[in-house]
Amino acid sequence: MDYGRPGLPRGARPEGGSAVMTSLRTRKFTPNRQTKAAILFLFPSALVLVLFVFWPIVNSLWLSFHHWNLMEADRGFAGFANYQELMRDERFWNSVVNTVYYTLGTVPVCIALSLGLALICNVGLKGTAFFKSVYFLPVITSFAMISIIWGFLMDPDIGLLSYYMKRLGFHMPDMLRSTKWAMPAVIFVAIWKNIGFNMVILLAGLKAIPVSLYEAARLDGAGPFQRFAHITLASLRHTLLFVVIISVISSFQVFDQVYVMTRGGPLHSTETIVYYIYHQGLELLNMGYASSMAWLLFLVIFVITIVQLRIFRFDQTD
Amino acid sequence: MRPRLAVGVLYLVLIAAAVVTLFPFVWMVLTSLKSEAEIVTYPPKLFPDRFTLESVVNIWERLPFLTLFRNSVIFAFGVTLISLVFDSMAAFAFSRLHFPGRDKLFILVLVALMIPVQVTMIPLFLMLGNWGWLDTFLGLIVPRATNAFGIFMLRQFFINLPKELDESARIDGSSELRLYAAIIVPLAKPAIASLAVFHLMYNWNDLMWPLIITNSQEMRTIPAGLALFMGQHVVEYGVLTAGVAISIMPLIIAFLFAQKYFVQGIAFTGLKE
Amino acid sequence: MVKSARKSGKWWAVVLILAFLATAFLAACGKSGGSGSDGSNAGQQITLTFWNGFTGPDRPAYEAMVDEFMKAHPNIKVSMDIQPWDTLLAKLPSSLVSGNGPDIAAFNSNLIPQYAKAGNILPLDELYSSKGIDTSVLPESLVKQMQYDGKFYGAPANFATLMMYYNKDLFAAAGLDPEKPPATWDEWTEAILKLTKKDGGENQYGFVIADHATIPNWPILIWGGGGDIVSEDRKSSLLADPKTIEAVRKWSDLVIHHGISPVNLTGAEADKLFQTGKAAMEITGPWMTPGFTEAGLHYDVAPIPVGPGGPVTLADSVALVAGKDTKHKEAVFEFMKFWNSKEAQIKLSVQSGFPPARTDLADDPELAKNAFAAKFATVAADARFYLGGLEKANQIDTDIFIPAIQAILNGQGSVEDVLQDADRKLNELLKGN
Repeated sequence: MDYGRPGLPRGARPEGGSAVMTSLRTRKFTPNRQTKAAILFLFPSALVLVLFVFWPIVNSLWLSFHHWNLMEADRGFAGFANYQELMRDERFWNSVVNTVYYTLGTVPVCIALSLGLALICNVGLKGTAFFKSVYFLPVITSFAMISIIWGFLMDPDIGLLSYYMKRLGFHMPDMLRSTKWAMPAVIFVAIWKNIGFNMVILLAGLKAIPVSLYEAARLDGAGPFQRFAHITLASLRHTLLFVVIISVISSFQVFDQVYVMTRGGPLHSTETIVYYIYHQGLELLNMGYASSMAWLLFLVIFVITIVQLRIFRFDQTD
Repeated sequence: MRPRLAVGVLYLVLIAAAVVTLFPFVWMVLTSLKSEAEIVTYPPKLFPDRFTLESVVNIWERLPFLTLFRNSVIFAFGVTLISLVFDSMAAFAFSRLHFPGRDKLFILVLVALMIPVQVTMIPLFLMLGNWGWLDTFLGLIVPRATNAFGIFMLRQFFINLPKELDESARIDGSSELRLYAAIIVPLAKPAIASLAVFHLMYNWNDLMWPLIITNSQEMRTIPAGLALFMGQHVVEYGVLTAGVAISIMPLIIAFLFAQKYFVQGIAFTGLKE
Repeated sequence: MVKSARKSGKWWAVVLILAFLATAFLAACGKSGGSGSDGSNAGQQITLTFWNGFTGPDRPAYEAMVDEFMKAHPNIKVSMDIQPWDTLLAKLPSSLVSGNGPDIAAFNSNLIPQYAKAGNILPLDELYSSKGIDTSVLPESLVKQMQYDGKFYGAPANFATLMMYYNKDLFAAAGLDPEKPPATWDEWTEAILKLTKKDGGENQYGFVIADHATIPNWPILIWGGGGDIVSEDRKSSLLADPKTIEAVRKWSDLVIHHGISPVNLTGAEADKLFQTGKAAMEITGPWMTPGFTEAGLHYDVAPIPVGPGGPVTLADSVALVAGKDTKHKEAVFEFMKFWNSKEAQIKLSVQSGFPPARTDLADDPELAKNAFAAKFATVAADARFYLGGLEKANQIDTDIFIPAIQAILNGQGSVEDVLQDADRKLNELLKGN
C-alpha cells in the first residue's frame, strides 16, 4: 500500500533542498504549515477534551490521594492510603479476576464472529442489506433494556428459553442464579450485543480495500487463503486495531449489563472492576477510594493498549 | 469449488445469526402487544392470546412523550452533528498532518477512553454546577461535543487513504482545509456515516448522563422517561417494551438512511500509480 | 502560499463564527422550563423542588398527592422530579453539599442517619409539635425511624409492612385449607413442605425467599426465631447469637436440602414466581397486590406465622426530608404536614394499596375501599425497621449480611462459620463508627 515517492522523507515539502534547510534552522520558532494547520484542526476538540474530559480525570487522580465521602464537603489528604488498602482488598482482586474472565470470554469470540459476518456480508449476496440491519438491531438498543429482556428470557423457571429447552428435553442451567453460570450468561449477552457493532466497522474497512488488489493477487496466482491473509487482514490492520482496542477497553470497563442483570452477584461472581468502583463510589459514597481503583484500572488498560498499539504498528501509517 | 453449495452455506449462517439476533426483539414487540397480566405467566407464551394496544396507548398517556422526544432529538442530534465536525477535524490532524509530538498526543487522546465514567462523573457534575450549566442544553451537549472514540475511529480510516491524495493536493497549492473538506471527508463517507450512527445511538440511549445533568422533568430525555416504568419493586414490562420499541425507531431510520453511505465504497479508479 | 493562507483564514473565521452562534443559540434555548429553588416573585408565589424516586405503577398516586397539595395551597408550586432511586441517590449528596440541592427530597428512611450526620438535611422538630405532625398517631417504630440523635429529620412519605402472600389454589391442591393459612412456624414448615414439589423439570416452590435486590426477607426469619442482626443499642452485632444461628440454620436447611426456594433470587424474581403459580408463598409488601389481582391469581395475605421470637414483620418507610439550603422552610413544613393529614393519607392509601402511616384510620370507611391496605395496617404494631438508626445501614446490608446469607445458601461454609465471620466484620464496622 505504500505509494510514497522514493527519495523524499515523509512530510518534506517538494519545493526542494533549501526549504528543508530553512525549516531545520527555524523549526523551533516557526512551526511549519502543517503544524499550524494541525493546531487549528485540533483546537475545538482540544478545548472540549481538556475542559470536560481531562480536567475531571486529573481531578479524580487528585481525589485518589484523598479520603472523600460524597456526603461531606471536606476531603482529607490520605497519601497512598487508598492504594495500600486496595492491594489488601480481596473483593477488588476478585473483581479483577472476573473482569479478565469476562474480557477473555468476550473479545476474541466477538471479533472473530464479527469478522466472519463482515466477510460474508462483503461477498455481495442478495439481501445483505437486510441482514446487516438485523445484526445492527442489538447495537442500537440500550444495554439496560437488552439485559432486562434477556434476564426474563433466561429465567430458569418461567423464561421462554428454558421452556423451549425443556420441551426439547434439555435442562436449562440456573443461569443468572448460579455462581457458575452467571458470568457465561453475561458474556453471551455481551457478545450478542456487540457483534453488530464490530461488524459494521470491519465492513466499512473491508469496503475500503480496493478491488484491484485482489485482482492483481489473483493474477499472480494467490489462492483464497493467501489473499485473505496478505490482502484482507493486512489492509484491515488499522481497522482491526481500532476494533481490538475499543473492545478490550470497553470490556475492561464493563458495567451496564452486570448492573442490570446480576448486580455483581451471585456472591460477587460477576462483580467486575467498574461495578465495584460504582459500589464504592456511588453507593457507599467513598469517592476517594473509588478513584484510586479507577486509576489502577487505567494503568492496566494503558499498558495493554500500548502493547496492542505496538503489535499493530499503529504509528506506521504506511 | 461449488458456488451453489458455498452460497447456500453462507445463507444458512446469515439466517441462523439473524434468528438468534431477532428473537429477543420479536419477544419484545409481542410483549408490548400483550396486556400486562399476560406477560408474567406460566407456561410462558410468545404470542399473545389477545392482541392489545393498551400498552402503547398507556405510554402516550403516562409520559410527556413529545417533550421527551424533543429533548432527545436536540441532545442526540446536537451532539452528533457537532462531534462529527470536531472529531473529523482532529482525526485529520492525527492522520494526515505531520507535527511534532503527534503520536504522543494521540495516545493522550486514547487515555480519555480509559478512565471509567463513574469516577469522572461527580467532579464533572460539580464543575458544571458551579458554572450554572446544570439543567441546560449547554451542559448536556457541550461536554460531549467531541469524543475520543470518534477521533480514534476516524483516524484509523483516514490513515487507510492513500498518501498520494495529500501530496497531489499540496502540490496543487490547496490548503489543508480544502484537502480535508473536499477530498478526505468525502472519501471517508462510510466511516463518517457509521460514526454518525454510533454517536446518535449512544446519546439517544444514554440514561445516566442526562439524568445526572438535568434536574427537571422538562429537560428529560426518552430513556429517563422509560425508566419511570421501572419501579423499585415492580417492572411494568408491557409499557416498557412498548416504549423501547417506539424509541428505537428513529435510530432504525437513521441507520437505514446511513446505509446508502455504507455502500459507497472508495473508488480507486482514476488514481495514477 | 499567501493566497491559500488568506483563504484558509477566512474559512476559519466562518467556522468559528458558526460555532459561536451555535453555542449562543443553545445557551439561549438553555434552560427550557426547569425550576429554581428561589422562584420568589413579587407576589407570594413560591416554587418548591421535590426530588424523589417514585417510579413504577405507584407514580400516579404520588403525583395525585402533589396535585392535591397545590390545589389546597395555590401560592405554592411543587416542581416534582422523579428519577430511578439509584441515580437520585448518586447525585443527591453532591447536589446538597454544593448547594444545588432540592427543597424537599424523599429517600428510604434508612438513609436519614447518613444525611443528618453530615448536616445535609434540616432538623424538623418544629414540625412535630402539636400543630404539625402528631406523633401519638404514628407507630412507635416509625417515630423512632424518623429521628437521628434525638432530633427529627424526616416525615413519613409512605409506610409499608410485609405480609405473607399465599396462593389459595395451590393450597387447596395440596390438601390445605385456603381459608386457614399457617399461623405458627410449625404449621408453616409443614405447609411449605407439602407445597414443594419437583416434577422432572417442573418445580413448585413452597415458599420463595429473595435474598438480594429485594425488600429484606431474611431478617424477618431471624427475628421470628428470636435473634437479630444488630443489638438494640446499635453497638454490637448479634449475628453470632445462638438464636440467630438457629433461625438461619433452620431456614437455610429447608432451602438447601428440601428445595423450598431457589437461591440467589431477587425480589422481582420471587414475585414473578408467585405470580405464575410456581411459588405457593412469598413475603413482600403491599405493592404487589394490583399486579397479582390483575393477573387473576387466587391469593390472600396473612400475618407472617409466629416463631419463637413472637409476632414480627418488617416495616419500610420512605421519608420526606428538607434540603439544607432551602429558602422556604415554612412551605416545606406545610407540605410535609399536608402529606400526613388524614385526608391525604387515606387517598394515598386507597390509590397505592399501602397502609396509611397513621394508626387512627383503621376504622375509617374510606380506607375499606382498598381491602389490602387495611390488612397491611393490621400488622403495623409488630413491624420493625431493619438496621434503623445506623449510618452504615446500606453497607452492612450489601457488604456483610447479604453475602453471608448467600454464602450459606450456596454451600460455601457452615452456618456457624459464615455467621461468626460476618459477626466479626460487623463488630469491626460498628466500632469504626
